[in-house]
Order: sequence, then structure tokens, then C-alpha cells
Amino acid sequence: MKRRLRAGARLIVIDPRGIDLVRSAHIEAAHHLQLRPGTNVAVINALAHVVVTEGLYAESFVRTRCEQPAFDKWKAFISDPRHAPEVTEEVTGVPAAELRAAARLYATGGNAAIYYGLGVTEHSQGSTMVMGIANLAMVTGNIGRPGVGVNPLRGQNNVQGSCDMGSFPHELPGYRHVSDPAVRALFGAAWGVDIDSEPGLRIPNMFDAAIGGSFKGLYVQGEDIAQSDPNTQHVFAALESLECLVVQDLFINETAKFAHVFLPGSSFLEKDGTFTNAERRISRVRKVTPPLAGKADWETTLALAEALGYPMHYTHPSQIMDEIARLTPTFTGVSYARLDELGSIQWPCNDKAPVGTPVMHIDEFVRGKGKFVITEYVATEERVNRKFPLILTTGRILSQYNVGAQTRRTANNTWHDEDRLELHPHDAEQRGIKDGEWCKIVSRAGETILRATISERMQPGVVYTTFHFPGSGANVITTENSDWATNCPEYKVTAVQVSPTTEPASKWQRRFGEFSEQQDALLPQSDPR
Amino acid sequence: MDAHKLVQMANQIATFFESDPDPAAINDGIAGHIRRFWDPRMRRALLQHIDEHAGEGCRPAVLAAIAANRDNLTPAR
Repeated sequence: MKRRLRAGARLIVIDPRGIDLVRSAHIEAAHHLQLRPGTNVAVINALAHVVVTEGLYAESFVRTRCEQPAFDKWKAFISDPRHAPEVTEEVTGVPAAELRAAARLYATGGNAAIYYGLGVTEHSQGSTMVMGIANLAMVTGNIGRPGVGVNPLRGQNNVQGSCDMGSFPHELPGYRHVSDPAVRALFGAAWGVDIDSEPGLRIPNMFDAAIGGSFKGLYVQGEDIAQSDPNTQHVFAALESLECLVVQDLFINETAKFAHVFLPGSSFLEKDGTFTNAERRISRVRKVTPPLAGKADWETTLALAEALGYPMHYTHPSQIMDEIARLTPTFTGVSYARLDELGSIQWPCNDKAPVGTPVMHIDEFVRGKGKFVITEYVATEERVNRKFPLILTTGRILSQYNVGAQTRRTANNTWHDEDRLELHPHDAEQRGIKDGEWCKIVSRAGETILRATISERMQPGVVYTTFHFPGSGANVITTENSDWATNCPEYKVTAVQVSPTTEPASKWQRRFGEFSEQQDALLPQSDPR
Repeated sequence: MDAHKLVQMANQIATFFESDPDPAAINDGIAGHIRRFWDPRMRRALLQHIDEHAGEGCRPAVLAAIAANRDNLTPAR
């Protein structure tokens, strides 16, 4: 992206903070729409409103590629004056003239691509926003050829691959719903089991069901839900309620401290397999050193399955890929031999596309005609008020990776050795908070204490922190609000109050410190069978 | 399951589909989403809450969608 920007591409950044992409060496965004957290849908609707009401839309693309009745309905919706940037400005904080200019650039500046991250999905209206983005790309014809499209930037290296393989409680590999009897029969015959036709629980629902007593066992691989999930005190209560928690990870992470069984994980250098990135590109991962744990992750899963009475007979991950190819129409042409031959493959790869599919939606969408969806802006239930007047938004920085289970154990800590609360000078001055000093952050869910960093990257009224260190308790303050469709937690909007303090730790942080010390002391006594 | 949370989730789903001008699409959208994505124990707990507390806290669109699709939403076991 930076290379394209240096070559002259123009950039629109939509972000509550003045991030590096707005302005840094060789980069200056043409427009920065500095919206208030939680108002994404109002912004995307306003952009589409400008495109439609100023007649900037791709009429022939819409006519040939999209469902006409749905477009007509959507056009009437989006043309309504309530979506005009002059009206939405009050809610979003984005100046109308700037938004209009950005909409005109996106619609008329040539090929335009949208890249988005978790700032889109981690909202109560995350799914609505994704549909709003699709509406905008379709209405401007920016889909289905090189240089355009909608590109979700994944939070981890293999999110796409996990999703492709049915890591949802309602899907089998290839995004096929468990309610489909033909799909169940296919997998049932291959695996010799009856597959439940009902969807299962999502992670936040699992926590509630664990506390309620109907959910008793959890097998967690390579994820640290005790640190990454919102409302930490609720998550801890859920983990403590489980009868059997098995954690498989490279490190004794925060979740492992609650585990009944810990299975050592293997790193990407210790196993064969594939990663799939956001452009659906399947790449080989090759073992360069035997796993320190004695088993690669897939072998550990096999051993567990065998112990549970279901022996699996794979001797190499390539056989698992062969099974995927047999059962999943978008993967029919994928094999380790083919991956070696082509270097990498973008699915769908099958008889129709023997070398894969670099660009999707060229002549038609997967569903046929594109469907415009009505995306009404609905304010989150997480509201600011006199008691909680600021909005906290959480995020990540370059030198630490997500919960930091891997990067905190490296020299990357030289760049980032603690999570801090970033706030605007105006908000800091009003509260008597000084740069580098302790401040207390209180939300409806809990409270924590961090050092302050005063920064003009923030807008007044909005504060920010990262969650790379478990002792920071960033997720002690985030709430259980979640997206209406996916239950993805609303990490990006929490109403808080911030005040100066001389205490370096909250009650929760002190308790957490004692718990961690106790766990660390117990570790040498554990039985490493 | 915490009925309060399930009601809140159902209301959020309803709020999305309510913006469709077609009333049939609203009912189908709400009921279809709950049927496709909610674990049976969550559906059962929501139905039980509606029966025992006269739908307390639920948006009218949730109650209408569930009334029109009761059989389909009731878990088999």
C-alpha cells in the first residue's frame, strides 16, 4: 500500500485517531475522516448518499450486475436527507465538506479499493458496516477487477484459513451451513459420524453457558481468551466454571493458568501445513526443525482424538489437505504437490479455475446478482453520560502482536514495554492528568490503572489503549456489547471516566498480580506427563 | 443462559431487519437469523422467557417474528 502511495495513489483514511497512515514519511492522506468511535455506519451511509445524490454512481455496473428491485429500495433509503453529511456531521464529528470531497474522490478517482481492519468489525454494528462497504463498492463499480475491491485485513496470519475450514459453530469447511443435509451427509460419510444439524455456541455465548452450568468443557488451541476477550472478570468466572479446560499453546498463557490440562503447542517452524491470507492465498508452511514439544499441533490433536476413542489415520498434513480437496468444492484442485508447483494458490481452485482465482466477482457475484442491503445507522447502547463522558477505543501497535503472548517474550519490549492510556491534551488538562503519570480508567464493567500518554493523535473526548500486557487489565474495562450478527465484541467503544491517581494498581490488578505469582510458583510442581 | 442478554441480542437483530420497508422481510430476517446462528439452548431460553414473562423487554418485531415462526425456532430436543 505504501509503495502505491509513493507512486501517486491517493488515500482516504477513516479513523478516530491520527494514525501513521494519515501523515508519515512519504505519505499524506488526501482526506482523514476523523470520526467518533461507533459512528462508522453513519459515515459509510453519508459517503454513499453523496455518491448517489450527486449522480456519481456506476449506472451500467449496477444495471448489469446487481438486483434492480433491491437497488431501487436502497437508492430511496440512501437518498434520504437524513444521510446527508451536513446532517450526520453532528453525530460523526466528520466535517461535511471533507466527507463530500472524500466521496467524490472514491467514486471518480479511478480504480478504488477499500481495506479495512478490526475498527470496522469490532462494533455493535460491525456487520452492518461491512454491508455498507459492499454497497459503496458496488454502487461505484469498484469490484471484480484488479486494483479495486473490498479487502478485510485479518487480525492474525491465518484467520482466513481458519474461517475457510469451518471454524464457526454453524459451518462446515467451505462456508457450508450445518443445516444442509447434503453437506452433513458428505462429511458424515467421510468421518463416520452423525453431524449435528444445529449451530453451536460462539465464544461469548460459551462463557454465559459455562456460568449457567450447561457448558462444561473447552479445548483452546493457540488463543488466549483470558486476556483477549472483553469483561475479564466475567471471562475468569466462566473459565473457573468449566469442568475441563484444555489449552494447547506455545506458552503458559493467561488462559493456561485456568487449565486442567496443558498440551504444548508447536510453532510455525516446527510443523508442515498451510496459512491462508486475506486474498484467499494458500501458502505452504514447511517444518524446518523438529517440534520441541515432540509433536506438531496436528499430531497432538490426533493423539487426543485417539485417547477419546476416535483414531484418525493421517501420517502427514498433506493427507488432510487431500481430504479437504475431496470434500470442499472451492478446494478441489488444491494439494501439497500443486502448491509446490505453483508456489501458492488463491481459492477457488477447481476444474473451472485450475490455477486458482486471483480476482473474484469478475462477471458475477457468488450469489449471482449483487444485492444492495439497507444499512440504517443505530447508535450503540454503550452511551457516554456525565459519569462516563469519554469513549475508550482499544487497538494494537506494530511492535507487539495481539495479546503479546509471543512478542512480550522478545526484545520487542524495548519499543513497547507497557500499555498506556493515550488522551488528548484538553481532556488531560481538564482532569489534571500529566504525561507519564498514573491515571484510573473506570467503565460500567470495571476499572484499571495505566500511565497516561498525552497525544494530539487523539481527538478530544476519545481515549485509547493497547492490550498487549495482561496486567494492564484493558479488557477489565471493555464491556460485553457485541455485533448484532456475529457477537464480535465491541472493543472499539467503551464509555469511561479517567482521573489522576497516585496508586499504581487497581484492586483487580493487585489480585491479578497475586494470582499470577501463585500460578508461576505452582508451575515447577506440575506433572509434565 | 442469561435471558436479559438473549433479549438484548434478539432486539439488536430486530433493529437491523426493521429498517427493511417490507414487513414480511422483517419477520423472515429476524427468525431466519436466530434459527441459523443461535444454539438450541439459546433459542429455548428465549422462548421460555417470552412465555413466562409475557415477552418482557422484547421489541414488538421480535415477538412478531417468533410468533410467526415458533415451530421452526423450537429446538427438536
